[in-house]
Amino acid sequence: MSGLILGPLVAAALAFTFPKRGRGMAWAAAGVVGIAVLSLIRAVLGGGVQSHRVSGWGAPLGIDLRADGLAVLLLALTALIAVAVTGYAAPYLRAADSPEARHRERYFWPLLLFLWTALNALFLSRDLFNLYVALELLGFAAVALVALEGKGDALRAALRYLFVSLSASLFYLLGVALVYGQCATVDLALVAERAPRGPALTVALALMTGGLIAKAALFPLHFWLPPAHANAPAPVSALLSALVVKGAFYLLLRLWFEALPVFHTPAAARLFGMLGAAAILWGSINALTQSRLKLLIAYSTVAQLGYLFLVFPLMTGRDGRFGAWCGGLLLLGAHACAKTAMFLVAGNILRAAGHDRIRELAGIAQVLPVSAFALGLAGVSLVGLPPSGGFAGKWLLLSAGLREGQWWVAAVILVGSLLAAAYIMRVMTRAFAPAVPGTWVRPVPPIMEGTALALALVAVGMGLAGSWFVELLWLGGPWP
Amino acid sequence: MIPQLLDGTLVLVVVALAWRALNDRDLFRGVIEFIALGLLLAMAWLRLRAPDLALAEAAVGSGLTGALILSALVRMRRREQAAAGQPAGVATGPWAKDRAKNFSRVLLGALSVAMLGTLAWAALSLPAKARGLTAEALARLPDSGVTNPVTAVLLNFRAYDTLLEIGVLLLAIVGVWALRRGEWPAADLRERPLLLSLLRWVLPLLAVGAGYLLWIGASAPGGAFQGGALLAGALVLALLSGLGRRLLRRGRLVRTGLTIGVLVFGVAGAVALGWTGGLLQYPTGQAGAWILVIEAAALVSIGLTLGLLYLGGRPGEK
Repeated sequence: MSGLILGPLVAAALAFTFPKRGRGMAWAAAGVVGIAVLSLIRAVLGGGVQSHRVSGWGAPLGIDLRADGLAVLLLALTALIAVAVTGYAAPYLRAADSPEARHRERYFWPLLLFLWTALNALFLSRDLFNLYVALELLGFAAVALVALEGKGDALRAALRYLFVSLSASLFYLLGVALVYGQCATVDLALVAERAPRGPALTVALALMTGGLIAKAALFPLHFWLPPAHANAPAPVSALLSALVVKGAFYLLLRLWFEALPVFHTPAAARLFGMLGAAAILWGSINALTQSRLKLLIAYSTVAQLGYLFLVFPLMTGRDGRFGAWCGGLLLLGAHACAKTAMFLVAGNILRAAGHDRIRELAGIAQVLPVSAFALGLAGVSLVGLPPSGGFAGKWLLLSAGLREGQWWVAAVILVGSLLAAAYIMRVMTRAFAPAVPGTWVRPVPPIMEGTALALALVAVGMGLAGSWFVELLWLGGPWP
Repeated sequence: MIPQLLDGTLVLVVVALAWRALNDRDLFRGVIEFIALGLLLAMAWLRLRAPDLALAEAAVGSGLTGALILSALVRMRRREQAAAGQPAGVATGPWAKDRAKNFSRVLLGALSVAMLGTLAWAALSLPAKARGLTAEALARLPDSGVTNPVTAVLLNFRAYDTLLEIGVLLLAIVGVWALRRGEWPAADLRERPLLLSLLRWVLPLLAVGAGYLLWIGASAPGGAFQGGALLAGALVLALLSGLGRRLLRRGRLVRTGLTIGVLVFGVAGAVALGWTGGLLQYPTGQAGAWILVIEAAALVSIGLTLGLLYLGGRPGEK
């Protein structure tokens, strides 16, 4: 467990000290994390939930780490995407041998490794204050990565992202202070034992939730996401859409279902559900009207994040509880892989055509067949066609909604899927149009196309591995 | 009676200064008010019997942040003057002529008041006698390797937090360096022999002071953060007077200094893991020595990081 944090952290420091070894450090960290994740999965599947007392004290005095099914799943997902991005980023960053390109590559690797450290720390920690530190690390790394593009729009988007992220962190921290004042502990499990329903914890949860919703870009606090995700370098956009926003969502799950489940009332759950539904509709409609491919993909993220929040209303009853939980997380995993694939494809298109204006992108399938195929497969998962992970996740959510008698959830999912099909088709029809001479000016290295395709295949194949997901998610989840 | 009077005055002045700092039409005066605000906050921490926080607030919250904002202001003015040829750095003040802006300000003000009310409601409902973890921390203090409870929490009970925080500091300077090239302050000491002879005394004194704060942190208020802030102050002074530039241009040396805190802390964590089976779990009876080594490395990194942030970017070749 410790290697998951120490590995990328030490690698980040070394990658900064020895800039020419940045990529090597990333691969070394990938090796350490890969081994650690695999052995952790084995341990959890074989021996149940694993925990570790940092410094040997144990909560409440010390900080506890814990790897249950949910944490392990997200650690594995993070490792998968980080490895793919590491493979993609080297040729992407070396596109031009200019001083700017060298500068970007020099700082990309330490920032990527910091981001990875932060995500692993976030998924393992059981301590509300320690989670705050992990959130800070995550937020700063993400902002710095967006700013790496160095141009006007990216800098503006990064600054806005920084302000949102910082204020959101402060709201969260204020909530943690109130929790500590009330419960005399910041350990998730101990808070759950000592949590009385009262003004202090109500306000604390509201503050923390508000901050995390802004970080997770749930409608209507999503305004910062499209410019930040669309203007960052392609591998960074992939990391942000696939993982960073999910980190905040993950923390919301921990708060509402483990630390303070007494506050998960039908009214609160319905509020989450309504915001999620609004996000699906608003994000999809905006995706339909964008003229730039990366903005389309970014708005699609706003929409797809909405589905995740449908878990909250579906978890109020007993019957659909586990199904909704699995559906939401399967959707999270499928979206992470599909969205990474899409942003990497967008990076390839940007590389080959020099722009990403959808209207002028005729002939992707002719020039970049592998990328076009990856885009199509990722689209299959986003729309939710079988056998993709998107299909399995939506199916589980749908059936949970029907079992709980919440028909509106089914309606929202169906409308959202139709809209997703429409915006994917918008791109795909251009992709299969005959190429206009002079559009495609530069070749794309095969590895950049291959990584995108590999992730799209994972997204589509994830539906077939659904039973493995379910087995893992059962371990240590919020049920008696 | 006297203490209550003092506290009441302190609270009023803090709020008034915060208001002034936010709304002063002259940005330069606003920054000075902000620095004064930090010093008063440090006094408030002292009144709350948190001398460690007071030290950190005075050094980082007031001193270094003030220096950073001042240097940003100077750069902003220089750039705006170059662009428009007119004096810049004049804020619009609380009441702009723009009606939409006024409306949003009133709205934000109302929201803040509502938020303050909600927070007060929540805070007043907290248990009157806060339980906290003080008793538990004090009970385990003898096993922590130090006698200052704050250092025990930062470097032992919750050392993992501190490891990640040192990581955040390193990340901050990596992010700033990624963004832009810094600007060296234009200064030549040969023209100012008096300043030079003063610095000959002050800089070594500050360095020794930082070391003292680090050492004393084991038993009294102090530690790597406070010592690092002092070191950073010394570095800013040196930068302002043009000293040590050749040293700071040695890229790898500087970067090693910036990262050594994370590296030593991280490697110590890994070694402890192999030794005792627990991440950052120091071997029995040796905690004090481990903490000193980790803090010494952290001191160097914290001092360099906070000091070099003053350049506002990476130190360039020219």
